[in-house]
This record gives sequence, structure tokens and C-alpha cells, in this order.
Amino acid sequence: MTFDVLVVGAGHAGVEAAYAAARVGCHVGLCTLASDTVAHMPCNPAIGGTAKGHLVREIDALGGLMGQAIDATGIQFKLLNRSRGPAVWSPRAQADKKRYGQWVREQIGHETNIEWVFARAGRIIVNNGRVEGLALEGGDRILCSALVITTGTFLNGLIHEGQARRPAGRADEPPSIELAESIRAFGFEVGRLKTGTPPRLARCSIDFEKQVVAGAFIEERGDSQPTPFSYRTRTRLENKISCWLLHTNERVRELVQQNINDSPLYNGQISGIGPRYCPSLEDKIMRFPDRERHQIYLEPETIDGDEIYVNGFSMSMPRAVQEELVHALPGLEDARLIRPGYAIEYDFVQPTELLPTLETRRIRGLFFAGQINGTSGYEEAAAQGLIAGINAARTSRREDAFVLGREEAYIGVLVDDLVTRGCLEPYRMFTSRAEHRLLLRIDNADLRLTPRGRDVGLVGDEHWELFTRRRARYEKNARALEETSVVSAGGQRMAASQLLRQPEVKLGDLIATNKVALEVDTESPEHDLATLETTIKYAGYLEQEMSRAARARRDDRRRISPHFPFADVPGLSREVVQRLTQIQPQTLGQAARIPGMTPAAVAVLGVFLNRLSPQVPLT
Amino acid sequence: MFSSDDTIVAIATPPGRGGIGVVRLSGACARDLVFQVVTRREALAPREATLTKVCVREAGTSRGSDHAIVTWFPAPHSYTGEHVVEISTHGSPVVLREIVRALVAAGARLARPGEFTLRAFLNARIDLAQAEAVADLIDAATPLQAQTAFDQLEGTLSTRISALDQSLLDLIARLEASLDFPDEGFHFIEPRDVVERVSELVSDLNELLSHEARGRLIREGATVVIAGRVNAGKSSLFNALIGRERAIVTDVPGTTRDLVTETMDLEGLAITLVDTAGERETQDPVEREGVLRAARARDIADLTLIVIDSGQVLTDEDRRLLESSSPARLVVASKADREPQWHMDEAVRVSTLANIGIGGLKDAMRRALTNEERLKDPAPLSNLRHVLLLKEARATLMRVSAAIAQSTPEEFVLVDLQRARTNLAEVVGVGSSDETLDYIFSHFCIGK
Repeated sequence: MTFDVLVVGAGHAGVEAAYAAARVGCHVGLCTLASDTVAHMPCNPAIGGTAKGHLVREIDALGGLMGQAIDATGIQFKLLNRSRGPAVWSPRAQADKKRYGQWVREQIGHETNIEWVFARAGRIIVNNGRVEGLALEGGDRILCSALVITTGTFLNGLIHEGQARRPAGRADEPPSIELAESIRAFGFEVGRLKTGTPPRLARCSIDFEKQVVAGAFIEERGDSQPTPFSYRTRTRLENKISCWLLHTNERVRELVQQNINDSPLYNGQISGIGPRYCPSLEDKIMRFPDRERHQIYLEPETIDGDEIYVNGFSMSMPRAVQEELVHALPGLEDARLIRPGYAIEYDFVQPTELLPTLETRRIRGLFFAGQINGTSGYEEAAAQGLIAGINAARTSRREDAFVLGREEAYIGVLVDDLVTRGCLEPYRMFTSRAEHRLLLRIDNADLRLTPRGRDVGLVGDEHWELFTRRRARYEKNARALEETSVVSAGGQRMAASQLLRQPEVKLGDLIATNKVALEVDTESPEHDLATLETTIKYAGYLEQEMSRAARARRDDRRRISPHFPFADVPGLSREVVQRLTQIQPQTLGQAARIPGMTPAAVAVLGVFLNRLSPQVPLT
Repeated sequence: MFSSDDTIVAIATPPGRGGIGVVRLSGACARDLVFQVVTRREALAPREATLTKVCVREAGTSRGSDHAIVTWFPAPHSYTGEHVVEISTHGSPVVLREIVRALVAAGARLARPGEFTLRAFLNARIDLAQAEAVADLIDAATPLQAQTAFDQLEGTLSTRISALDQSLLDLIARLEASLDFPDEGFHFIEPRDVVERVSELVSDLNELLSHEARGRLIREGATVVIAGRVNAGKSSLFNALIGRERAIVTDVPGTTRDLVTETMDLEGLAITLVDTAGERETQDPVEREGVLRAARARDIADLTLIVIDSGQVLTDEDRRLLESSSPARLVVASKADREPQWHMDEAVRVSTLANIGIGGLKDAMRRALTNEERLKDPAPLSNLRHVLLLKEARATLMRVSAAIAQSTPEEFVLVDLQRARTNLAEVVGVGSSDETLDYIFSHFCIGK
């Protein structure tokens, strides 16, 4: 078998990588163990959330899968931060995890360029510093021009459940040992991370209505007008389930404290580093003993199945203790545990090994995406899969790199953070990581990125047509607001755009009172209006932000050639030279973001670049 | 271009002969290089003053030339953060130059001005504000200037800036946490608390900036120009103020032709006192140039002393001087031992002959320059660069208050809060990144 691009793993990173490479015309192999775990959700049955929702919008704007997948199979939709500003609005949805996987599998099936390879990956075959293919466990060889590895938690995966330990990639699946050895053998800097998942409960053992009446649970419904993730979703989304909120109590705290020595997190059994933003129950109780109670959400994993996900209750206690802990929660005295929570340790490769295309610097043609790069989250994985897939396709055809800037997309922030700063703990996206957050909104992800997606060949004709009409409407409406003259509440005559800059004035009101007439998409008018209102109302802030972004871009266009002799730059300390040599930044801007780089060191490097290298613009 | 890889050397004591002279070496090789210039062969003990002899090899021969006390300060606990060796000799410039020449021949590099302190800054031994304070301390002309600089070197300003920065970081982290973790079931900070904390920060900055005028006056000093008609007694007053016979005093009108400048300590203020040529119409080209220079000196003065002979009636020239003078002026009625021929409420009566009123004039000068009664205490803020950055931070924070009042969403407000932090960081010369998330995770329990 020979492919242009071979993708190992069909999780959220793998499917985006395979889909993107196939859409731009490559012959793609997608290697995975079984078809029923494609785009699987082994933890939280949800997509989106703050900053993650932004990532999904961007994936969709570029022509990726995830936005359409969750719109098609979501069962409850919420726009987070609705009461705050437009730059931090973020969609989130509960998924029917079974249907989500099915939907993605079907989409992949429709792509004639993708061929399934149901097998276990073994060894990476390299010749002369360049990837040549993959040896499967058992010996068969597959040849490829580019290889994308998306192994999630499978590399040397080790599950902890109390004192019990078992090698596993996910709950009941064997880990990847041979592939992990193959990666280590090439000398990649490999570390250990840890993540965890909560117990699952039987839906039929919980009387939700009774507990709501008794005051133990609070019912959480979706938005009355759901906001879709995908710009291409034209149908109205429906909420099909509720979730329930409850709180931990004094009994839970006592039980954790009494049994803490049975937790592998606290008895020294686990050495991998876990995510601080998603702490285990053990961490919540032990590290924040002053918090009286913690929130727990009960979330159905499917519309009609029996599993309830206990969000906020991830732990690695022995099964018996987990049962006691669940029963200690108010309203869950009689709940039945379907399967216990666990902690899992796995190998990751320090992403400073990678170029901003997610290709490794050690081996040309080899790409890593997803949790193998130290991230956590389906959305972070999918975003990397997309970037790796596009670049794997481009490298197989000797085309130039596709890299998004930090001022251009959250995806750009994600990749740059990874390859520049590396990971000390599982990396999750936050809006506060994006220094140009005001420019990276969900309402303009299409304006920012769909033309980029079209350029690389990922955005199809239908999608492009939809987008160009939307962009034309936006430009026409913005002009109309400049040109329409209106009378303010104070009796002054002014342009509608000027009136809109007053804090209390809303675009919706101007339209409702017939002061302005705009052309909006009748099926999803909110999207058109959100972009207009934000860009006009906050024009002052946005202009400042754009000039800051332009300044930042200047440094990001000052290219540092590969193998630049940092050691020869006078005035740089040994530590700084060592970091620079290790990271091999491609631009002065990237160099400045390396941890430990002082402003003085950046200035010195800048002067030296100026003196000795011609300025090559970064394309 | 500077380099921090090599070892630098310089004479650390002032040029010329002295009771003691010090050569300072800093860098990775400092410890080895010192043996090129002393007779001692055994290794040096850390931070121990060791008696040995200077011995500079020349054309194959070597001879002892002085006693030396050598002290090694191992990295990183030294002034520069690198290995530092100090060689103290009797202060002969010849011996000191010999030592430096031999060390340069052995591979050290002659340090550029301020390079030891620059290295201390680059090695994070001191921050930028402290590095500036080192220069101020060395340049200090009055004890108050020295005290102000030393306080800043000790980190008084840096400590206050870092306290401001800390509370700004706490505010930013809470707002960021509310944006990134909307599902936690509680607000990390209520909007009215944001307003209150921003106004606290503004008033802290106000307090710090209230020392601006005094601080800059202490650091930069002031120029006081003595003006008046010919023979009004300007030069006598000049000499009386500085306490010695610096300017030539005669009865001949127009004795002073050029500007005469001297420094005096006015209760801690470094004053540059300027005596000028007396005002009169004259054909003498030299004197005419002197009168022109006097006018120019008055233009740049922080304070002008207009000296008028109290024993003579006011002339048109006196009146012209009074009218054209800036508000920052004192009228001095000189020769006050004589029968007064005119009266002005504001005039300070002085007689250098009878030694009357000099103390009162100094008092009036100090009051006029400082608008304050006393100037004893050092100021926490004295450098114009710091003042400008703090003013920018204050303006930015005031914009934040206005934005919150208009219910501007947090993510917009945060842009300005971050900018204010950048201003503060620039004072001490550090960049800050990724701190917000670290702060969030170490202070709040987050987890959906």
C-alpha cells in the first residue's frame, strides 16, 4: 500500500488531518484499530466552551469537520458568556457521543480519497532523515510521503484505578507500546502527562424530577435560540436533553480525606503531570480545603442511552471508594455506578520538537497532532489535526508551509504556544492566551479564515459561495450604516454608525424602529448583525488592537534562517543561546516569546539580524 | 555592541592619586586572570580579603610594585552576578594602569562606562530602576540626592511598583477567570469591586506622583540666576550664598562680564547659582555680550533673584527687569544696611556687608522652588522616565474607570488594564507573560 498521506489514529485530530489532506486532493490512509471508536469521546461528551468554541468556529471556517459534526449530533446548545462582550462569546454543546462518532465516520466514508487501514501502528520507517512509511505491528509496511501521528493517550498508556494499574490506551483498549518505542528511539524528547475521567452512572437509577423538586438538583436547559458552531448550518438546532447541577458536601470531603492514601495521585503512584484547569476531585479537596462545595454536572452521554457523565468528579480512587463518594452526593444515594473513573498516564513529545507546520524538525515528512503534543481537549486536537493534515498534504506535493498567525486565529496561538513554549502540563486553550483576543471573535472567524481555507483548497464551492455572499452583505451593510442619517435620542442628526457607538444604543433597536434598513441572512440574521454591531460599536478598541497586531506582525515577518548561529551573536547568555538553539525560532517574534528571553536579549538578536541577514519576508 | 561572555576590567576608583585604588574584574575568567597580576599562587577563598603583592610581568621579567588586598566574590552572589575580583592597592595611578594593562594583555576587555551595572541588570541582580539609581547615587551632589538615590537602589520604588503591579495582576486574573471560567457558579469579582480597585490604584499612583516635583527637584536640582542693574550687589550676594569669594567684587560698575556659575547645597537641593552681568546700555562689545547672556540665563532659570539696591530710587531699568521677569522670581533689596529709598512687600532685605537676611533669603528660595516648607525626606520618585510611565499608567486606568461606567465588556477593559501593567513593568524593565494563568490556577479552584 502507498499513500500520499498516512494518518495514524482516527480521533478528533486524526479525522481532521485525513479529511483535510483528502479534500485538497491527496490519497490518504487512515490507520485505526476499530471503526466504532472513530471520533470517540472517551471523557466529556461535549464540544466547545470558552476559547474551545472559538477553535471549532475556526476549524469550520477553514473547511474542517468538527463544527458540522457537533451541529448535526448536538443535543443541548449554549452560548457561554452571553452576558459579556462579543470577543468572549463561545458556543458549547452536549453531544450524543454515539451519533457524533457515526456522523464523522460517514463523512470520512464519503471521501473517496480516504482509505481505512484497520491495524495497529508499529514502527516509523525513516530513510535519510525523511519519513518513508509505517510498519504495522506484525510487520506489514505501508509507504507514504507524509505521516501524521495522532495517538491521543495511547502511547505507553497506563490506567490507574486505586492501587490497580493496567496498561491501556483508553478504558478497555490496549496501549501502543511498539510505536512509543519507535518514537523514543529517534531521540524525541518524551515526557509523561496524566489526565482523568469521572465515573459513569446509570440514568435509570436516578430520579431527576424528584431530585429537582427536593432541591438536590438544578435543571440546566440549553439556549432557547441555539447558536450553531458551523457557518454552513442552515437548519434550526434543537435542544433534546437537560443537564443537572448539584454540589459536593461535607461527606464527600471527609471521604476523600479519609481515603486519600488510596488515590494514586497522592500516594506517589502517578508521576505524570495533570491539568490544573480540570482538577481531579482529590486535588479540589486537598488543594482547596477552604472551598465548602464544588459544582458537579450530570450530563447524558447520548439521547437515549443509559450513561450519565459526572462532570467535575474525575478521580482515580478504588472502585469501592468511588461508589461511596457517588452515594454521598445529594440525590445520588441510590445511583448505580456503570464504570468507575480512572486516571491515565501517557507519553507525549515535547512540542518544541515541531515546526509551526507541526512537522517534526528531526524527521522530514513526520507530523504530530493532538494529545501527543501535550494538549488536552477534542477541539485543540482537531485544530492541530487540521493544520498537520494541510501541511502533510502540502509537503507531499512540495508546496510551502501553511501557518496561521497569532493575530489571525486561536489556532495560530495554539500552534505557536506549543512549538515555542513547550508543555509543562496538558495545554488547554483559554481566551486569555490570545493577546489579540478582540480581533479573534466567533462572529468573524469566517471573515478571517475562509479565504485562507479557500486558498489551500479546503473550502469547497458551495461553502465559498455562501461565504462570499455573507462577506458582500457585511460590506454593504457597513457602508449603509455609514451613509444612513438618523436622529439620536438627544435630537442630534448623525450617521447611524456614529449613533451605534453610544453604549446604550443597540443595532437590533435601530432595525426594529426602522431607523436603518439592512440586508441580512434571513435564516441566521444573528451572525450578520453580531459582526456589524461589534466592528462598529468597538471600532476605537479594535483599531488600536489592529495597530498592535501590525506591530507584532513586523517582528513575526523578520525571518531567522534555519541553522542560524545563535552562539555567534555577541551579548547573549549561554542559557538564552541554548534555548534558541533548541527551539530554532523561525522569526524574531517567535524568539521573543521563548520563555527566559529577556527584552535585552531580543534587542541584541534584532540588531544582529538587521546587520547580517537580508530581510526575507515570511510568506 | 556589548558581550556578556568575556571578562571585563576597569579602575573602579576616581582618576588621579588617592589613598586607595581599586581595579575591578568581572566575568567567567575573573578568578583565573587575577593571578596574572599578583604574587599569590594559592586559590582565593570566597569573600575573604587576602593580602598579596602586585606583580606585573614585563618582557620576561616580573617585579613586585605594590601591596594589594584581593577579594573574590563568586557568582552569582556578586555585584554583577558573575565572578568578581577586586584588587585594592595604594592609590597610585601608575600601578593601577599597569594592572589593567596586564589584565587586558591576558585576555580581559576594558569595561565600557556602566558596564558592571549593565551586567548586574542583565543578570537580574537589580532591576532597571535600581540600575538608574546607581548612576544617580554616584552623581549625587547633596546628601538628600544621595539618600533619594540609595532608597531607590534599595528598591523602595521597585517595591511600590511591584505592589501596584501585584494588585493589578490580581484584578486582571479575576476578570480573566470570569471570562474563561463562566461555569464556576460564582463571580470572581463583582463589577463594583473592579471600579473600587481601579480607583484605589489611581489614588496610589496619585500619591506616588505627588512626589514628582520634589523628587525631580532633588534629582535634577535647580538653576537660580541672579539678575539686576550694574552695581546692585549681585556678585556680593552670589559670594554670600555660596559661602566664599568666588566672583570678583569691586565698586566699578560692570565688573562681571560673563556668567559665573557655582553649585550650592540648599538644604539638600543641588542649586546651580549663576551670577550675571548687570543691566545697562553700553557700547562695550564685551559687556554687551555679557548682558545678552544674562537675559538668556534668566530665560532658563527655575528661579530668578532680582537684586535692587535699596539705597537708591528705582530706575526704569529696575522696573523693566521686574516687568519682564517670570513669576518664578524673588526680589532682593540689597545693601539693606542703608536708608531704604523704595518699598515692596515681596522684597527680601539682605545686606552682605552687615550679614543681614542671608538665612531668610535661602528660606525664601527654598520655598519658592519647592512650594513646601521642608525638604528633609528623600522622594520615592525622581526620574523623569519613571514619572512619564506612571502618568501613562494612571491615564490608562482612568480610561478603564470611564469604560466600566459605560458598561464596556470586560475583554475591552482588560486591554487597558494589561497596558497599565506594561507601563509599570517598563519602569523596572521586566516583561511579564503567562503570569495571569499561573495566578488564576494558584489562587482559585477551577474545574468545570
